Amino acid sequence: MLEVKLECPKCKNQITIQVKPGEKILITCPKCKTQGTFTLPTEKSVQQESKKEDILIVEHLRKTFDKDILAVDNISFRVHKGEIFGFLGPNGAGKSTTIKILTTLLKKTSGKATIDGFDIDAQQAQVRRIIGYSSQDVGVDNDLTARENLLLQCQFHHIPKKKAKKKVGELLKTVKLIEAADRRLKTFSGGMRKRLDLASSLVSEPKILFLDEPTTGLDPQSRQDIWDYVIKLNRQGMTIFLTTQYMEEADHLANRLCIVDQGKIVAQGTPAELKAKIGTDKIKLLFKIDDVESCEKARKLLFKLPGIEAVGECGLGLVSENGLTIMTKNGSAMVVRVVRALDEEDISFEQLTLSVPTLDEVFLKLTGKTLDVIERKKAVKPVGRRR
Amino acid sequence: MNFMEMLSEIVAIFNRWNKKLVRQPILIFFNLIQPLVWFLLFTQAFSAIGDIPSFQLLTGTSSYVTFFTAAVIIQTITSSALSSGLGLVTDFDSGFMDKMRVAPISKSSILFGRLFSAALTTIIQVAIIIVIGFALGVTIASGMLGIIIIFILTALFGIAWSGISLFVALTTKNQETTLSVGLLTTFPLLFLSAAVMPLGLLPDWVQQVAKVNPFTYVAQAFQSLIINGFEWDKIEYALIAILIVGVSSLGASIMVFRKKIS
Repeated sequence: MLEVKLECPKCKNQITIQVKPGEKILITCPKCKTQGTFTLPTEKSVQQESKKEDILIVEHLRKTFDKDILAVDNISFRVHKGEIFGFLGPNGAGKSTTIKILTTLLKKTSGKATIDGFDIDAQQAQVRRIIGYSSQDVGVDNDLTARENLLLQCQFHHIPKKKAKKKVGELLKTVKLIEAADRRLKTFSGGMRKRLDLASSLVSEPKILFLDEPTTGLDPQSRQDIWDYVIKLNRQGMTIFLTTQYMEEADHLANRLCIVDQGKIVAQGTPAELKAKIGTDKIKLLFKIDDVESCEKARKLLFKLPGIEAVGECGLGLVSENGLTIMTKNGSAMVVRVVRALDEEDISFEQLTLSVPTLDEVFLKLTGKTLDVIERKKAVKPVGRRR
Repeated sequence: MNFMEMLSEIVAIFNRWNKKLVRQPILIFFNLIQPLVWFLLFTQAFSAIGDIPSFQLLTGTSSYVTFFTAAVIIQTITSSALSSGLGLVTDFDSGFMDKMRVAPISKSSILFGRLFSAALTTIIQVAIIIVIGFALGVTIASGMLGIIIIFILTALFGIAWSGISLFVALTTKNQETTLSVGLLTTFPLLFLSAAVMPLGLLPDWVQQVAKVNPFTYVAQAFQSLIINGFEWDKIEYALIAILIVGVSSLGASIMVFRKKIS
């Protein structure tokens, strides 16, 4: 038996319960009578959780420029080995500053960070041997050919010539640049350069790869190529830390992510967790425009259906539409049950749409602004880029 | 720091810059334009200086072109040194510098790779100047060995003077500042030295400045090799001046480069 302290989600009342690991119990809040269930994870699953090794540990990291510009404001997070970790936020949120601190390019003001156990300040040399970095600027030499660029990187990492040649050939193949290998970069497109830059950050077979806005400014096809490649690398076991200002990208790639704004982490978790935090999936049902009766019947029926949190009024507030909105935690599973329930009662409807919350909404909810607006506002003066 | 590793890093970066230069050979001539204009126009306009008796007495030659060759060589060296700094700024701008800094290589390797390549470029440029000098009737008293010593001094002074432009480049990371600081220091120093006029013909206050100006000693070494042959004490003085400039400018550059990451 273990004692566990819980907080009532509704009235924030502290509840202490006695529970066995693995046991699922029903709790009623003594104050507001809200009911819920709680399962204590078994010891085995607790262990599994902690078994996930952290490759990057960041604690209370701060960075100020010129004493009063706070670019990174006391952030803490951990990146597990083998995951893709995203850092999502608008321009000027401190993403690039953070990545530059972690890759030893910039000195932190205070706090602590270790990569695979090495301190990023005290053990810079060791850190540099195990990281790969692909900057926003695309750090490749335009006077050299693709092959020469990669060979140069190999030399920087002291890879013997023979091994380097072989490795460069392989890398050029993987990033689909083998035909253009001996052309100077002057003739390369933005996407090709980015792919080469990515390849060049991989010559040392890093344990963790840092990607600073890997697809900013790329066309959709090039973006897809980079995404595919990042996923492929991750499947081969590489840990990836990436920053992005695209919700879609974070959603698509990241196993877990931090949402950052003005140097602070405003939320962290898996994309699903973050979305769940702000709320609910919505199912919208539309009926024939003059079939008010069906709508009312459906409303009463669905209200009683378990798993449904709320059902809106009929009419949707619009004259041109006759329908209602249903709020639920698990939209995709509920759709089937909603349809079945309506079918059983012979209520016919015209259209059903399911909408799930996006990370955009999460961001809006957490910061009170949308990414787009901030982008335009801040793009003029990004705080603390290049120093 | 493993010496062999550092050597291979320097070679890698040295080769990178050489490749860039070979692919844009125009860069070799870019820095030569100004010294060449001087060489061709200045020496024509001021050729009468050679007729001044005390000029001949002080320098050992009546040919101003011959005397002035040293000044042109120095100008070539300094304007080429300027481009070392500019090259670094380009790397900062393109993001390539970050790529190098993230790699497990020494900061000094990044600088020395650049410096050695710049020194090689300068030797090629000075060789061109000497050939043009021959065409203008300049003779070199110390012969082939003297020319080799001129090349060695060129490389060393080029590296030492590059330190100044590296320092400005690393501190400001700005093309314009690097360029203007380079130009603003070079011109006055050239005229406040024994490069353009023998020390004895300069006004008193200029002589005082010239005596602490490293350009004077380097110029006198070149002048003696071109006009008189081997005067080892002059070469010695030049080496001491180069050493002082080099140690302080490169020391400061490396320090700034190591420190300036915040």
